[in-house]
Amino acid sequence: MSMLYVLIPLALILLAFAVWALVWAIRSGQFDDLESHGWSVVLDDDQKPPPHPDDEKEEEEEKKS
Amino acid sequence: MERTEEACFHCGEPIPEGVSLFVLRDGQQKPVCCSGCQAVAELIFSSGLGRYYQFRQDLGRKAEEDLEHNIEAWRGCDERESLWGAELADGRRDLLLQTEGIRCAACAWLIRSHVENKPGVESVQVDTATGYTRIIWQPDKNRLSSLAESLMELGYKPHLPLASAEEQGRQEERRNSMKRLGVAGLGMMQVMMYAVGLYAGDAFGIAVAERSFLEWVSLLVTLPVLIYSGRIFFEGAIRSLKAGSPGMDVPVALAISLAFIASCYNFFVGSGEVWFDSVVMFIFFLSLGRHIEMMLRHRNLQAGAALARLLPEWAERLAETGRETVPASDLVDGDKVLVRAGESFPADGALISGVTEVDEALLTGESRPVARGVGDQVIAGTINLSQPVEVVVTASGQETTVSALGRLLLLAQSRRPSSSVIPAWLVPVFIVTVLVIAAGTWLSWQYIDPDRAFSAMLSVLVASCPCALSLALPVVYAAASRRLLDDGILLTRGEALPVLTQVDTVIFDKTGTLTCGQPEIAAVRVNPERPEVKKERALQVAAALEASSAHPIASAFHPAKTGLPDSRSLAMETVTVHEANGISGGLEGAHWKIGKAEFVLDSDAPGSDESIWLADEHGWVACFELQDALRPGAETCVRNLQQEGMTLAVLSGDSAEAVNRVADRLHISDRTARQSPEMKLTRLEELRKTGQHVLMVGDGVNDAPVLAAADVSMTVKGGAELANSAADMILTSESLGLVNKAISTARRTRQLVRQNLTWAVMYNASVMPLAVSGLLKPWMAALGMSLSSLLVVANASRLVRNNTEITNS
Repeated sequence: MSMLYVLIPLALILLAFAVWALVWAIRSGQFDDLESHGWSVVLDDDQKPPPHPDDEKEEEEEKKS
Repeated sequence: MERTEEACFHCGEPIPEGVSLFVLRDGQQKPVCCSGCQAVAELIFSSGLGRYYQFRQDLGRKAEEDLEHNIEAWRGCDERESLWGAELADGRRDLLLQTEGIRCAACAWLIRSHVENKPGVESVQVDTATGYTRIIWQPDKNRLSSLAESLMELGYKPHLPLASAEEQGRQEERRNSMKRLGVAGLGMMQVMMYAVGLYAGDAFGIAVAERSFLEWVSLLVTLPVLIYSGRIFFEGAIRSLKAGSPGMDVPVALAISLAFIASCYNFFVGSGEVWFDSVVMFIFFLSLGRHIEMMLRHRNLQAGAALARLLPEWAERLAETGRETVPASDLVDGDKVLVRAGESFPADGALISGVTEVDEALLTGESRPVARGVGDQVIAGTINLSQPVEVVVTASGQETTVSALGRLLLLAQSRRPSSSVIPAWLVPVFIVTVLVIAAGTWLSWQYIDPDRAFSAMLSVLVASCPCALSLALPVVYAAASRRLLDDGILLTRGEALPVLTQVDTVIFDKTGTLTCGQPEIAAVRVNPERPEVKKERALQVAAALEASSAHPIASAFHPAKTGLPDSRSLAMETVTVHEANGISGGLEGAHWKIGKAEFVLDSDAPGSDESIWLADEHGWVACFELQDALRPGAETCVRNLQQEGMTLAVLSGDSAEAVNRVADRLHISDRTARQSPEMKLTRLEELRKTGQHVLMVGDGVNDAPVLAAADVSMTVKGGAELANSAADMILTSESLGLVNKAISTARRTRQLVRQNLTWAVMYNASVMPLAVSGLLKPWMAALGMSLSSLLVVANASRLVRNNTEITNS
């Protein structure tokens, strides 16, 4: 049972970390809008679909300007 | 079917004849209705954001045609630092813009992806529920106007950041509440875990050192929860005691502090029980209840926040140096402003040049435009229909007629009878009773078994907590407002629901409520002496002539309404629009005139004011009787209400003739015409004195005071913002059938509220004897209380779940 004296303090450290993480998340506004971020998974795509040749040009132009 | 073929790819509006604009999507040409929508759609595709169209749940907002004009207006504000948003560290600004047109999560994604790429923008957040866009940006790298422009080029309309300070305060409150809830929840999980160990130890035996170690850790975790999350209950209790009327917070604070202090005492003495688990559990569930209640309150506030949107935000001031666009709030008496056709007047004033027609339906309820010439008064918020005019300002800002109406509305709201379900005197009586019983329990147990006295008293305090009781109402209202929203009804004041079930009288406004405010052709008479001209031909000629007019009457002749083949491409020559009279033009050698009797005919002819005459050189050909088109669902709505035995009445500012026509069609016998807002208010007071509960359905600014004063009120789609802010419910779809739906939902809500209240009262009443007799331990009381609360929440959610079953079937 002496493990208790190690595990519980460890759990408390984890708890402190969880509270800090939660407060940080709330402060940075992650709980302000719970709906639209779920959608960004389907909408944002790192792998962009093969761009249309015209689109590519326009994008480059946008970057330049 | 036809409509979907012709609908604009971006905004879904029908595509006007003769417009052939397209955007390219996956090699396919998609039609759009105007160059504005075309520009928006092209921009979305070219930035690689085309996925928006795949995932959006609602159509886009129709793009502004005069984008340039709006951007120009924003540019004038670039130098005003007060509009840049709250200043953050290192000069960044936190800008909060209320944005029109945000409809679903896809919109939020589109805005984020597009605006975040602009220079100087650090982060963009969009709240789909409230329509606020928050932009953190650096003023030295970008300008306010280009941020606004980036929203406008996507087809959204940002408003001047005026009242954002309050919203920021509310957001802070929401975040704080969430932090308290999170800390209490995490703390509760830990302490409960230790409690399991302690209870198991009670049953199977535990070493003294380990027992005190677990108790010690429990104390360590409970202390921050108590101080951080429990603080609001102590503050609330002190506040209510200072005010002399003890509230629910008093026994809560007492129970929490007594349990904590006694647990600490027992722990340090080394004998007896500890109740740290009860303390944190209690704090968590109470915080949860408070949080739900607060979210509900904030949503209601936001729905009413749009009050300031009634007057135009911008005005075009004519200064000696030339024209400049300024925020309308900057205007002072004596300023000269230019108001273009189709814009609304930014301030009260007098016309100094130009002749025009003004749509004053907003204020008077009059459905027909009024002619205004030099020297005539115009009122802020009314719409200039036909010609650009110059106006000298006589009253602006708070002094305008509309603002006066706003004040009348506030007054009416304050006079509304209070409709709280739980009477105010009950709470202190309940609290005092609980405290007396708790003290009595402690005293009695002192004689029976002093060791258990404290534990029994604590159980009484916890068991009596009206947690389920205080949740019983808010959760049902939250579920009801969600259900109503799914049906297309926005509930802005929860207390209105129970009142809606008692309603026995319904008052309707006419223009814009029972009718759409748009004319339609009721009957066509052809001249019996001119048999060569058929009815269809007359309608086609009329449509061809009216095609060149933007006047509301012209819409009645639109082919979509008459059902005739489109004739607007007929070769009309030399079409002339005679302001406030009619239109003339040549067609196939004949000269046609359409308009009012005195314009078209030389002599007066039989027929009402609402008649439009068509004539050629040889005399009149046809006469069109116009009527205000009924709103969809109006007839069924009225019939259903009458079947339920309700008294119906029409109260309108329009002429007696127009009111009679509509009331006759709907079979409503009680009708009153030519009513000013004050008269409407008096009429309502009279009805209420006879003991009737009145539901008012309206739409215009002139209805706002009556809407605010009625027992319950609703505005229909397209209602003025001021009217919406006064109403308890806003119908968001065209049909009036929603009125019946709202009433039936209110009845189901009342049923659920009764079930919940009965359960909560029964639970509290039945556990009280157990607590007094000492059978109920504090942790059982806390657990029972939580389960009872959960049951109440589950019961309320039936209201939402039933809805999905209905829509699925």
